[in-house]
Amino acid sequence: MQKKWSRRLMMMLAVGLIFILAACGGDDSETEGNESTSGDNESGSADEVVIDFMHLWPEGSSKQHYEIVNEIIAEYEEANEGVTIQTEILGNEQYKEKIRVLSTSNELPDVGMTWAAGYLVPYVDGNMFAPLDDVIEGPLADQFVSGTTEAFALDGTTYGLPLELNITPLYYNKRIFDENGVEVPTTYEELKTAIQTLADNGVTPITLGNKDKWTGSMWYMYLADRIGGPEVLNNAIDRSGSFEDPALIEAAAEIQELVDMGAFVNGYNGLGNDEAKGYFLNEQAAMYLMATWDLPEFTTNEDNPQEFRDSVEYMKFPTVEGGEGDENSFVGGPGVGLFVAEDSDVKDEAKDFVAFFVEKWGEQSVEKAGVIPATKVDTETLDLPEMYIDVLNDLNEATNLTLYADVQMSAAVADVHLDMIQALFGNAVTPEEFAENQENALAEEAGE
Amino acid sequence: MASTTQPVEKRSIASRIGMVLLYIALGIVAVFQIYPLIWLFIFSLKTNTEVFGNSPFALPEDPRWENYVRAWTDGNIDMYFFNSVWITAVSVIATVLLASFATFAITRMNWKLSKPVLGLFMIGLMVPIHSAIIPLFSFYNDMGLINHPLSLIITYTAFNLPITIMILLGFYITLPREIEEAAVMDGASIHRMFFQITLPMTSPVIATTAIINMIYNWNEFVFVNTFISSDKWKTLTVGINNFVGQYLTDWGAIGATLIISIVPILIAFLILSDRIVEGIAAGSVKG
Amino acid sequence: MKKVMSNKLVIALYVLPALFLITAVIYGPMILTGYYGLMDWTGIGEMTFIGLDNYKELIVDARFWDSAWHSLLLAIFSTLSLAVYLTISLILAGNIKGSNLLRKIYLIPMLMSSVAIAQLWIKIYDPNNGMLNSVLKMFGVENPPAWLADPKYVLAAIIIAILWQYAGFYIIIYYAALKGVPTELEEAAKIDGATPLQIAYKIKVPLIAGVIKVTIVLAIVGSLKYFDLIYVMTGGGPNGSSEVIASYMYKKAFDTYQFGYGSAVAFFLLIITLVVTWITRKFTADDEEVQY
Repeated sequence: MQKKWSRRLMMMLAVGLIFILAACGGDDSETEGNESTSGDNESGSADEVVIDFMHLWPEGSSKQHYEIVNEIIAEYEEANEGVTIQTEILGNEQYKEKIRVLSTSNELPDVGMTWAAGYLVPYVDGNMFAPLDDVIEGPLADQFVSGTTEAFALDGTTYGLPLELNITPLYYNKRIFDENGVEVPTTYEELKTAIQTLADNGVTPITLGNKDKWTGSMWYMYLADRIGGPEVLNNAIDRSGSFEDPALIEAAAEIQELVDMGAFVNGYNGLGNDEAKGYFLNEQAAMYLMATWDLPEFTTNEDNPQEFRDSVEYMKFPTVEGGEGDENSFVGGPGVGLFVAEDSDVKDEAKDFVAFFVEKWGEQSVEKAGVIPATKVDTETLDLPEMYIDVLNDLNEATNLTLYADVQMSAAVADVHLDMIQALFGNAVTPEEFAENQENALAEEAGE
Repeated sequence: MASTTQPVEKRSIASRIGMVLLYIALGIVAVFQIYPLIWLFIFSLKTNTEVFGNSPFALPEDPRWENYVRAWTDGNIDMYFFNSVWITAVSVIATVLLASFATFAITRMNWKLSKPVLGLFMIGLMVPIHSAIIPLFSFYNDMGLINHPLSLIITYTAFNLPITIMILLGFYITLPREIEEAAVMDGASIHRMFFQITLPMTSPVIATTAIINMIYNWNEFVFVNTFISSDKWKTLTVGINNFVGQYLTDWGAIGATLIISIVPILIAFLILSDRIVEGIAAGSVKG
Repeated sequence: MKKVMSNKLVIALYVLPALFLITAVIYGPMILTGYYGLMDWTGIGEMTFIGLDNYKELIVDARFWDSAWHSLLLAIFSTLSLAVYLTISLILAGNIKGSNLLRKIYLIPMLMSSVAIAQLWIKIYDPNNGMLNSVLKMFGVENPPAWLADPKYVLAAIIIAILWQYAGFYIIIYYAALKGVPTELEEAAKIDGATPLQIAYKIKVPLIAGVIKVTIVLAIVGSLKYFDLIYVMTGGGPNGSSEVIASYMYKKAFDTYQFGYGSAVAFFLLIITLVVTWITRKFTADDEEVQY
């Protein structure tokens, strides 16, 4: 009897083993598959190269981006026989988390996407990203809009090639403005009057998803710029100035005045940006401050009713009377860029590919995907919605582009900044405390 | 006669009213519990604008069935579906079997280290997955198991073992030992006793833990996202990821993906759920 | 009997596979986490040994203690809510009509992934368009709170969502346990004239005491390391008022690149969990010996 039962036990273990082996076998066949395809090509060319490329434009949410990427890859593979580009695509948050884990084991893909400035620091310190100055000075010379690659540079070396360039206009709903007899404001005082009128009429003046914090940071950055000029915040961050500059405190006080006026949608500190945008899309709020990556929502996105898209316009953030900043100074900057892994076995090929990619991307991204690239765009030859032309012209006339504060800062200081933004909007800190906390965090990091 | 029936009747009227109230309460709770599924279904037929607009109770103006088409094609769901099924199944079987073995040894057999070993399993319950993920990645990386389904099966099995053992334990210590003792008296081997008596007797709790394990594995995405990079081995939960963009998320299609992925687990749940009761019947027949 | 049940080979065969798995997959990383907690490390490249500095920082980190308090509150409420789940399970396990269908319906939310549940509760709590506030306005409440934006309410709001999320989990365990109670006892009690309530609390509950104790441990441990809904619904905000230990740990280890510090938080979380579990088991231990 006992034998019979031990046999059954053995059987079960065997079944388990078979599962495991089947699984292993499955994976082997995959790698074999790759090898065999490369084997087929071997007759054609001497070396086989596989470049791993991770990006964050999945087919489901970013179909046009996804298709452009695939076309570029196909084109590149055709032009460079023996090179295979293998992609892995993840959603935004998952992408960040995965890169984080991969870098810890030094297993980054050959080519991937990175964000600018502060995000780069730990990767560059850990020697993960390859310098790309040779690419910028070589094949891509004079291609980028000036100032964009600098955001990806640390100590004079550039580690990323920007793919996007955004500015942050203040979108408004013309129909709601008209219905409430509100004129498009040109000064900050007029903006406040407009907000007051809207609020008095029971209309939500501004929608804001400040659960995400960087959204509120944009409001603060504009006020800091308009009051103290474009340098004051940058100086505080790069330590040539202080966060306790009177202009930075005054900007914080202005934010709280807006809050007290009821300028922002009820419950803004608990709303994510997606929910907050929903209020604007559904014409439940009159204004929305967001970067130009949302332009497709107001121009080409068929999901949004035509009447709504027709009634959306944008203004430059109004100037503050007696303030230093002018209308053509924008909050914005490059979004994602491409990096090449320092440890890549195919670094040269990867660099060649990113140069090709940036160039081709720049030619198509605006027209096909509505993404303003960081490379120069010839508006004459493109068929674009009116709003895009306006934005591109504004970009040309821009006197200054201030990179998003949380991107400029290192991750740890950005965390303090963003927490302080939420606290400021929630009236949980005074403007002085707001400035002091950030000053301390910046000073501590700089080792002062 | 009359004097004895009267109080009974009174009580039955009172208890009838009580029953009605009880059913009303149960009904309200039921509405709260089933509404989310209906809500999710309505959600899955909306556009982004509708998802964030107006009342969440509202029906979509023009139901977007194409969300389902998009979920199926753009979301690669067809490819992920099979992976989800077999990886979940293998992990659940492995977990429940290994946990049953261990619990049996801990509660039924006599050895000095049983309490400390139980303690080890219990402490295993306390590790949050996010603190384990980076060490685990380098572990699998060294083993060559990255981008291999075995990394998922091992992780799911190991992470669910503690909770499964804990739940099994609660049942094992209340189960009567007489039947097993009788079997041993009859000269049955310990393996026979385990497979022929203990496992059937614990089938309600096995069904329970299988359901819990199944739900955990089916919905898990942190490990899949981290350990698996090729589409070939990804599971349904990362299909949702395909609709999360850099700046724009397609919520309707996410809703559709969620509905599609809840159907198989709902069916499996309904089947297993009956086993909780049937198992008892089978056990008591034996008893 | 004794001899059969003390067979070392069988014990090893039964316990070692599970033990081996958790050692490799859970204890390995746990030890590494403890090790990383002694380092100054972004998670990338070189690390520097700094001894207990991370823990010294942790002891005076007000944000950490706030989040620990929130986690503890969640654990307390999760444990208290077990009584409600137990009551529902007692009703369902009683032989009332339709209990089979009701049970299945009650467990449906448990099947939904946390992505779906988070979206649902975000829609419930939306300050202007949300289900809760729509209903409140219908009943004449003029300015219902912005639940997730208000530091006063946000933690309560999230805890309710979490309790709801886990209801099915505990109900299914209790239900299975109650169904395992031998019917003979119940029938004997009925003949003696016991009311259903008496049967429930005098007979059934004591009989499943072992299971109840296990669920108490599960509720406490699960709450202390809880992460999902909080991360999606509030990100710990506003102003940290819904931050819990696990979300704080994640923020440090993943978002702000203080991997060493994040690991220290994770290790400290483990210690807190151990202490709290040990205390609870002390409290519930007395009659356990009888059960064994």
